Amino acid sequence: MGTYIIRRLLWVIVLLFLVSLLTFIIFYLFPSADPAALRAGRQPNPALVEQIRQSLGLDKPWYVQYGRYMKNLILHFDLGTSYQNNISVKEQIFQRLPATISLTVGAVVVWVVAGVSVGILSAVKRRTWLDRTAMTGALIGISAPVYWLGLVALYLFANDIGKIKIFSGANSYVPLSQDPAKWFSSLILPWLVLAASFAAFYARLLRANLLETMSEDYIRTARAKGLGERRVIMRHGVRSAMTPVVTALGLDIGILLGGAILTESVFNIPGVGRLAYDAITRSDLPMIQGTVLFGAFFIVMANLVVDIAYAFLDPRVRYS
Amino acid sequence: MRRRALRALTPAVAVSLAVGVAACGGGGNKSSTSGSSNVTQGKKGGTLQVLAGNDFEHIDPGQAYYQFDYMMQFVTQRPLYNWKPNTKTVPDPDLAAGPPQISNGGKTVTVKIKKGVKFSPPVNREVTSKDVKYAIERAATPEVANGYVGVYFGDVIGWSDFPKKSKDITGITTPDNSTIVFKLTRPTAATVAQALSLPASAPVPEEYAKKYDQKNPSTYGQHMVFTGPYMMTSYQPGKRAVLKRNPNWDPKTDWRPAYLDQIVFSMGNDTTVASRQILSGQNGVSGDFGAPAPIVKQASTSKKDQITFTPSSGNRYVSLNTTIKPLDNINVRKAIIAVTDRNALRLTRGGPSVGDIATHFIPPGMPGFEEAGGMAGSGYDFLKNPNGDLALAQSYMKKGGFPSGKYTGNQKLLMVGDNEDPGAKTAQVMQTQLQKLGFKLNFRQVPHDTMYSKFCNVPKAKVAICPNVGWLKDFNDAQTMMDPTFNGTAIVPVNNSNWPQLNDPKINAAMKKAELLTNADARAKAWGQIDNMVMADAPAVPWLWDKQANIRAAGVNGVINQFNASWDLAYTSLKNP
Repeated sequence: MGTYIIRRLLWVIVLLFLVSLLTFIIFYLFPSADPAALRAGRQPNPALVEQIRQSLGLDKPWYVQYGRYMKNLILHFDLGTSYQNNISVKEQIFQRLPATISLTVGAVVVWVVAGVSVGILSAVKRRTWLDRTAMTGALIGISAPVYWLGLVALYLFANDIGKIKIFSGANSYVPLSQDPAKWFSSLILPWLVLAASFAAFYARLLRANLLETMSEDYIRTARAKGLGERRVIMRHGVRSAMTPVVTALGLDIGILLGGAILTESVFNIPGVGRLAYDAITRSDLPMIQGTVLFGAFFIVMANLVVDIAYAFLDPRVRYS
Repeated sequence: MRRRALRALTPAVAVSLAVGVAACGGGGNKSSTSGSSNVTQGKKGGTLQVLAGNDFEHIDPGQAYYQFDYMMQFVTQRPLYNWKPNTKTVPDPDLAAGPPQISNGGKTVTVKIKKGVKFSPPVNREVTSKDVKYAIERAATPEVANGYVGVYFGDVIGWSDFPKKSKDITGITTPDNSTIVFKLTRPTAATVAQALSLPASAPVPEEYAKKYDQKNPSTYGQHMVFTGPYMMTSYQPGKRAVLKRNPNWDPKTDWRPAYLDQIVFSMGNDTTVASRQILSGQNGVSGDFGAPAPIVKQASTSKKDQITFTPSSGNRYVSLNTTIKPLDNINVRKAIIAVTDRNALRLTRGGPSVGDIATHFIPPGMPGFEEAGGMAGSGYDFLKNPNGDLALAQSYMKKGGFPSGKYTGNQKLLMVGDNEDPGAKTAQVMQTQLQKLGFKLNFRQVPHDTMYSKFCNVPKAKVAICPNVGWLKDFNDAQTMMDPTFNGTAIVPVNNSNWPQLNDPKINAAMKKAELLTNADARAKAWGQIDNMVMADAPAVPWLWDKQANIRAAGVNGVINQFNASWDLAYTSLKNP
């Protein structure tokens, strides 16, 4: 297992290098905008634009620019400076990471609890009204776009603009360290909105897997041995059915830690996703590069964690 | 909303403006625009929330050049001259003790600086003329990269030598701590005088800022000091900025009342959600967005006193590239203008309340507007019907060599528009107008920045139609609206603003002549005629002289700054702080 982990960690480095190269090629060689012209602001003369191009090193060949970027990244962990506000990319990402982690972790708890419960209930009560209602709800949850769901949730339940004023509205997020109670209340609606589609997906996924697992021979054996139904389901059925759910969970956490752009936008939660979105709309190339690398890092690490978790969940899986 | 800025005024402008500037005596309070409060006494105290969709473009006064940036700059920095709420033609002295003195045939500008104006902590000392000199010089460096100083101050002696050949701009001198003198190579003094109302003339202490300005790009914006009634005590990019009272601000040296204790800018909001929050809340105002069309409709009917429509002194138009076939044919361009339902375009932004249908380019209120025909324009038939006139358009197409009245060529015209509302909707409506005449389009919708910097501003990109362009004044002079946008000599390979690439020698010559006029009436007449000449060439579809729709909460006593067409935070107060 140790060798496996080390090998995978080395692959993480290779993968991140490839992601950085690909991102660089896309955004520097095929930019959506002229970074020097944007940096120069409005109505500059061409001489000023050229001056800026030189001062930012944008007149150098692409491989020189990439080499410089990687040197700063590896030696100093420097992701460059935002073209938009001249502030360190690394500093801005780390400032926003707690908000994204808050949003992700809370949503994960909600969707795992909801998705797993509904999935098990639906599988156990197959073809009853409970099952049909749950799966219809899941279909709606999967189909509803997150941004639309967020807006509807605000217009219905936000305590400032909602019809039924229950939850804190958009733009109410405060950091956990500043006010834990306000932090919690400001995230309830975003958690529910973000969790909705995931919970729906997980419920359907678990239901399908559990139904398949419950028809296996060893389940029949467990019942024949006299084990209670609850134990058969939870100890034997769910445990096996959970493996694909765990895989999906790990990947989804990794993706969300790179930024839940839509949820952060509609609720104005200052996370990494929103930072990435703003960077893309403003063609802030260093920031785009930085947020993409961060996102890639979380996804790759999440993959690794999931694979390791597999070995513990499924005794048939062994790594060497 | 992003707009394009201005370009240089020329000597003659200077003289007429100089008259205005010299006559400026500090301005009294006048009634403000419809829907906003008059400039009257407010109550001190409280916290105002300014909700914005996006971050500031720049917070460094040496770089700020955007309407939303100005909202913050107006209350934190004191350039030599500034704009009181009801002033939009001639600025008032702010850091300056009085109007600029122009001498030496318009080649010297002398400004006296008020005593007793201090920098905020940690600098704490009194402002001197050297701080203004440094502020303007730093703006000329690539580390700060100000977009307009080169245009407006380019005639200052020694400007082109700085910073590569000279360590300062020799034409800016400070004979004593309260005097600054600008010596020019040409008689463009009034241009410089007006430009001193832009944030780049706000003082910056060299001994404090130099270490930040030596970084590339400058990091002074993260460590700024302030001279206005407020200082920025925290700034989280893209999230939040908090302004609190500047302890070193002396109200006796300032005309701003500064009622509020605190101003909180919250960025990154969905504009529809933010609009609803403002209208249903108690202490919010809109920041960088005009209210979206559905909100305009709702507020105009049920919350009339919470929405104001302020002329932005700008225009919006659809540019037609006169160098690309078949748009190089004037009859084809006239056909496109004739067929365009300009009311439909206006509806995408909220309907009649957001502005008047444009019939030419100089906006209402600007000298030259009436001379260009006013609201009705000069009566060209292709602009007569704001709902579009298909029959007339087809007749022009026939004149243009398309006997069927529709375009029958194989060419696909590249049209590049905004991908975000309302610009996206405007572009889509324009697409349907063009399709009525049989045009085939390669229609791309891209982010706003991309639209300009990679497509519309780059002649090499060969974009035929840019449906989301417009121009906004820096000062109240028609040359600033017409010259950068329709002068053939203004076409540049990067950041070009003459989007139609109009290069009519008669128009170019008329502009060159009009630049030198000194009499205000003569200038207005000349530029009005130029507007008509440009319109006769049909290089674009003018469709809106717009008004900025600003909204406020019921508990806010909002005052609009006419110059910036946004809330004036130094005069705005809370009804119950």
